[in-house]
Amino acid sequence: MKHQLLDTQIHIATGGRSFANDGEALVLLHGSGQNHLTWVLQSRYFAYRGFQVLAPDFPGHGLSGGMPLDSIEDMADWVIALLDSLDVKTACLVGHSQGCLVAIDAAARYPERVSRLGLIAGALAIPVNDQLLTMSDKALSKAISVMTSWGHGPMAHMHDNTQPGHSFLGYGNRLMASNHANALRHDLTACNNYSGGKAAAAKITQPVLCILAASDRMTPVKFGTAMADSLINSERVIMTGAGHMLPAERPAEVNDALRRFLAR
Amino acid sequence: MSGDYKFDTLSLHAGHVPDERHGSRAVPIHQTTSYVFQNTEHAAALYNQELGGHLYTRISNPTVAVLEQRVAALEGGVAATATASGMAALSTALLVLCSQGDHIVSSSRMYGANINLLENTLPRFGITTSFIDPSDLDGIEKAIQPNTKMIFGEVIGNPGLDIMDVEAVGKIAAKAGIPLMLDCTFNTPWLLKPFELGANLIVHSLTKWIGGHGVAIGGAVVDGGNFDWGQNDKFPTIAGPHYAMDGINFYEEFGPAAFTAKFRAEGMYNFGPSLSPTNAFHILQGMETLPLRMQRHMDNTAKMLEFLCGHDAVAWVRHPNLADHPGHELAKRMMPRGAGSIIVFGLKGGRDAGRTFIESVELASHLANVGDAKTLVIHPASTTHSHISAEAMIEGGLSDDMIRLSVGLEDFDDIKADFEMGFRAAAKFTKTKD
Repeated sequence: MKHQLLDTQIHIATGGRSFANDGEALVLLHGSGQNHLTWVLQSRYFAYRGFQVLAPDFPGHGLSGGMPLDSIEDMADWVIALLDSLDVKTACLVGHSQGCLVAIDAAARYPERVSRLGLIAGALAIPVNDQLLTMSDKALSKAISVMTSWGHGPMAHMHDNTQPGHSFLGYGNRLMASNHANALRHDLTACNNYSGGKAAAAKITQPVLCILAASDRMTPVKFGTAMADSLINSERVIMTGAGHMLPAERPAEVNDALRRFLAR
Repeated sequence: MSGDYKFDTLSLHAGHVPDERHGSRAVPIHQTTSYVFQNTEHAAALYNQELGGHLYTRISNPTVAVLEQRVAALEGGVAATATASGMAALSTALLVLCSQGDHIVSSSRMYGANINLLENTLPRFGITTSFIDPSDLDGIEKAIQPNTKMIFGEVIGNPGLDIMDVEAVGKIAAKAGIPLMLDCTFNTPWLLKPFELGANLIVHSLTKWIGGHGVAIGGAVVDGGNFDWGQNDKFPTIAGPHYAMDGINFYEEFGPAAFTAKFRAEGMYNFGPSLSPTNAFHILQGMETLPLRMQRHMDNTAKMLEFLCGHDAVAWVRHPNLADHPGHELAKRMMPRGAGSIIVFGLKGGRDAGRTFIESVELASHLANVGDAKTLVIHPASTTHSHISAEAMIEGGLSDDMIRLSVGLEDFDDIKADFEMGFRAAAKFTKTKD
């Protein structure tokens, strides 16, 4: 749906159902250089199971207007502003990669608004090497290609997809290319500059589900495990053979794990 | 995994990882119509495109999906959908994109069935086409109307071998906010990857070089994922509410794969042009050797061009790799590995000499196919293009004496000896004419 937030028209995927502000919202937060299409196999799935799904495109991403935000803290504030604008009292925030940093920061600073967390392929810090940062500024298509390659696990590199006929790498490249040209650079810089993850995690008492990928080369599983260890009310699922793009690579398993968690 | 797999590796592996239970190295043939649902919720989720998976082989099938994913990987697309034939791919793609009152700008120099479909069949459903010489870039641009929904053409025209400048036509299409769809049967992704030059959709007859063995008919539509269906109001059934699935908006929900989502949900669902799993398996066997075969096709084509151009019985030879072809420089630039393995030529004795030649060769097969591993010959004016009008034949560059040759993989000395025999048999007409 189209939505006016502050001075920007944004797009929010609602899984093909009209958003009815009816209890806890399920807010799906995409990662660096991604957009709502990260959640193509989650938003519709959960919307048709009665969840109030909101999968927004951050500014400058996907179908949202505006310029990309500069910091993880700004993104967390933006998510809360989004909830305010829709009169949503509480939400379960589910983040992927950078979206995990946003979810953690929001949960720590706005505990009354965040009921629980789903953290997929995340970590408490996501440092980005200088080469990739430079590439995202000077050679965007190469940066996209590199991230799409690193971001997918071995099955995805064989184009073995649960969606008949689809190529993970082809789709991943095109998805990232559809964002504002500055989106990836802003996102990677925001991730690289964010140092508040550990302190934020220490404040989080809400239930947390961490879904991690054993073959993750973007946020290696050891960092995801450390994230889970630092969250006092967390549980974890580690999926073998999958890469960083878990929502696409293992949609059924991710959905099952999230659904069990949300059913409590 | 140290990086993305290369073309030769993808030809062998893409789309398939051996399953844990059986470990079948070869792609299994899932010869089934249907799939047992886990429960009613699972069934509903598949119908509603909430999850990937298979529900009925008319819509998708695991063996066919391997083929689709392999084609998508080789082309660098976001997705591919396989169909029962190349014509099924084209006709379904056109019907998924176009509605009554819409218009298409198309190359005038194409396969006879492609022209027939656009010239004679689609107008009955209110979809009209302007045919333009593919080298006339100005004419293509001027032919675009407010209701034009795509530009269509063949990279290497059949059988005239006209070359379309994909990059230039892609820019015209992009400027007009419409997709460029190409029939890439003759070039295959081994010779050219048109998405890299700005094409948006690709149709293939997989029957030809990609299958290569002449045992299975099949086609595919490949989605480049590089066209913004929401940039204007030309595609309301993709970027607006669709009748299916509670008014689904394919553009918003599936992004770069919006066309494929609609093709699957409407094209496969309503028209049912599905490829059989066994045919998909056969085509996959061919794909495994596509790079090897294409190299050999190009090698033998180069030898054949030299042979024909130097032969006394031959009146004329046309191939984009020959310097006198109008698309020679363009073909060299777009397809440095070669411009395909189809050659057209005429004999000095004209049509009668050609007929005698075709009936006299023994190794080369006289049949209505191209891209087979075996060498093939045919007289297009009386066969593959006989259903198009005399005007369209002239417009398409077809002459009455034209022989279409699909160069195969045999030892070239044997093909040469076979052709020498055919030329000797046809020589009487040359003498008569002299």
